[in-house]
Amino acid sequence: MSNAPVAAERPTSSFRISLLRLWDAFKMPALAILSAFILGGIVILITSGKPLTVLQAYFGLVQGAFLNQRAFSETLVKTTPYILLSLGVGVGFKTGLFNIGVEGQFYIGAVSAAWVGVLFPGLPAIIHLPLALLAGVIGGAIWAAIPGYLKARTGAHEVISTMMMNYIAFRLQEYIVTWLLKDPSAGLVQSPPVAKAAEVWTLYQIPVRLQDPLNALGVALVFAIIALLIARWALGTPRLREQVETAGQRRIVYLVVGVLVFLITFFGLPAFTRVWWPFTDPYDRMHIGLFIALAVSVGVWWLLWKTTLGFEMRTVGANPSAARYAGVSITRNIMVAMALSGALAGLAGAVEVLGVTTCRCVQVSFISGYGWDSIGISLLAKNNPFGIIAASFLWGAMGNGADFMELNSGVSKYIISLLQGLVLLFVAAPAIVRWIFRIRAERRPEEEVPLTHWEVK
Amino acid sequence: MSTTTNTTGRIRRTGLRGTWWVTALMIAFGLFTIWGLLSLVIRGHGVCGQKCILDTLNQMFRVATPIAFAAFCGVMCERSGVFNIGIEGQMLMSAMVCYAVNLFSYQGLKNVMDPAAAGDMSRWLALVAGVISAVLLGSLHAVVSIKFKVDQIISGTVINILAIGITGYLYRQFLAENLPPGPGTFPIFNIPLLSKIPILGPIFFEQKPLTYLMFILTFVIQYVLFFTPWGLRTRAVGEHPRAADTLGVNVHYMRYVDVLAGSAIAGLGGAWFTLEAVDVFNPLMTNGLGFIGLAAMIFGKWTPFGSLLGALIFGLGSSVTSTVSIFRPDIPSQFPQMLPYILTIIVLTGVVGRATPMAAGGKPYEKQ
Repeated sequence: MSNAPVAAERPTSSFRISLLRLWDAFKMPALAILSAFILGGIVILITSGKPLTVLQAYFGLVQGAFLNQRAFSETLVKTTPYILLSLGVGVGFKTGLFNIGVEGQFYIGAVSAAWVGVLFPGLPAIIHLPLALLAGVIGGAIWAAIPGYLKARTGAHEVISTMMMNYIAFRLQEYIVTWLLKDPSAGLVQSPPVAKAAEVWTLYQIPVRLQDPLNALGVALVFAIIALLIARWALGTPRLREQVETAGQRRIVYLVVGVLVFLITFFGLPAFTRVWWPFTDPYDRMHIGLFIALAVSVGVWWLLWKTTLGFEMRTVGANPSAARYAGVSITRNIMVAMALSGALAGLAGAVEVLGVTTCRCVQVSFISGYGWDSIGISLLAKNNPFGIIAASFLWGAMGNGADFMELNSGVSKYIISLLQGLVLLFVAAPAIVRWIFRIRAERRPEEEVPLTHWEVK
Repeated sequence: MSTTTNTTGRIRRTGLRGTWWVTALMIAFGLFTIWGLLSLVIRGHGVCGQKCILDTLNQMFRVATPIAFAAFCGVMCERSGVFNIGIEGQMLMSAMVCYAVNLFSYQGLKNVMDPAAAGDMSRWLALVAGVISAVLLGSLHAVVSIKFKVDQIISGTVINILAIGITGYLYRQFLAENLPPGPGTFPIFNIPLLSKIPILGPIFFEQKPLTYLMFILTFVIQYVLFFTPWGLRTRAVGEHPRAADTLGVNVHYMRYVDVLAGSAIAGLGGAWFTLEAVDVFNPLMTNGLGFIGLAAMIFGKWTPFGSLLGALIFGLGSSVTSTVSIFRPDIPSQFPQMLPYILTIIVLTGVVGRATPMAAGGKPYEKQ
């Protein structure tokens, strides 16, 4: 490298820096996962006595999670609620709030979505589906805003109040399903199945759904909006900003992109999916909720890191006294963060009930158990939306592969919880991992958000 | 009665709540109200005679036992300034260990001595083992949150998830099938003279050992926390560790010991599930009672008697609901079940009697 000083000024070096940053961010979680799996292997070895079992178990885990289309879809189906719920937890964490109540907000979101899904038969999907999802979002947001309000106004510790709200939510959901919304024709205690138009589409259904022009219109609108957002981002990059200078030129670009994408998807997509569509397995449960979740993660990232509101929220989380000194309203930010957190959890519940449950309804024993998992995922990902996607995928894969692993090797599927617990332990106490791998402590302090270290005066 | 520092720099008499006679009075009043309500609700739908009402109240104490233990664990930990939401995990762990030790030690012991004595022996052995297992998990929490200074709530979450994993795994590998017959749970122990008292006897004195232990522990913890130098130091460490450190109190040592003592109590709570309630172990069988214990603790404003009262309210909610649902299946049982949780939130918000947590709660202590 004779021209090293020159290379340092080139964009490649900034690429290398970002790679190094990525490695820095991923190093500790990766080592934590590695050590957890090694330790888990030792546990399996001790309890089974055969080294082969360890290999069988881990291979079974991979096979059950990835190695055919349905298994992979199922992993993604499991990943979806994890992403949304962990985003909810993460938004809270970033603002210095520990929202343990995502499980309860999930129930409320599920019940509200199911209720709206039953309430208006005959609406077209273009209105009914967004309406049902919105009901879930609002239900979750209100449910979380209550502890948020109490925290902001009276200082009631959100850990306990959200925990209590969990139990209340569970009972409320049980009450609604048993007494108000019970399906009289069903053998089990459950709500009636939601209208066909309110269901979250599975990928298998898409070609059929798109035959309805209204549905195609809705999809085309969504695509056009996404295209416009991408266009807006692209026009902001330095290279394009030089070429498209005036506002008038930009408007023309938006118009062309929007109309073009709209027309192509509106007329092209239904025909295209009829001719060629890879998802032909009717039992494949993979649904469009995953794409909603991915879009929402980008949205949350944008909100937290690119807007004033997000900056305020992060400031309140990182240093509340500084925030107060700078004139940031702590009260308002707590309420917004909690409501947002609950909205995400409620959306998860809505997607789950409208897209995944076999009866497309809420059953009385509708217990997700996602709550603690999502707190773990959020910790593992250090509350970063993209880290959350990766960690959710890991958790989803482990949860999905577990059954096959048990079948394959006879190792109980609860080993998964053990592994997850160990991962979290190592992530929470990096000192242990550093000690195992003999890594020196990082020079710069990690960005950590202290929780609950302040009181509302 | 006693004066306690509840908030920094402000000494206030715990005149009403937290003293034993008020608790006793409220319990008596509560029992009377329940009696009236029960007969009112059930009237015309069958007869809930004296026996049925006494059973309901007896059951209240039984159900309250694990909640009270969890709450006592919370009191011990939080008075020294360490949040412990891993109580649920510790109880789950203890429940599994108790079940396993009870079962397997009985298989060894019954060949050596006569079955009844072997059963007794293995149950007490199991209790000790369960407490030890909970203390082990508690020491993990203590090391991670006191030495490594990890956020205590995160550490507690980790403990919970780990406990689910460990107990679930061991249950599936060793405790799910082909089990030999075990010695069963503790039998009901009637206290000789007291159980003959007409109404109070069947309610208070026909219980199993851990329930009696709950009552005894209430007094013990009250004494230790508020009438010994040890308790004074614990409370000082929870309110203002820097000041305590300046006066020569070893903050970390106090916190370690208090967390471990609390964990031992949580272990007793876990033992209740498999040594008193039912003779099986299920994954997730603690069913959130550890968290409810925390609620009871807050309800009782971090005092032992208050926690007991809180636990009894939760126990009452559950036992009354189950009685009512037998006679009146047409009444939604969900709202009475919600009530204790709503009450906890109300107490937490300070609408009725503000609950103020320890000033240094949740903060790791950095020695300077």
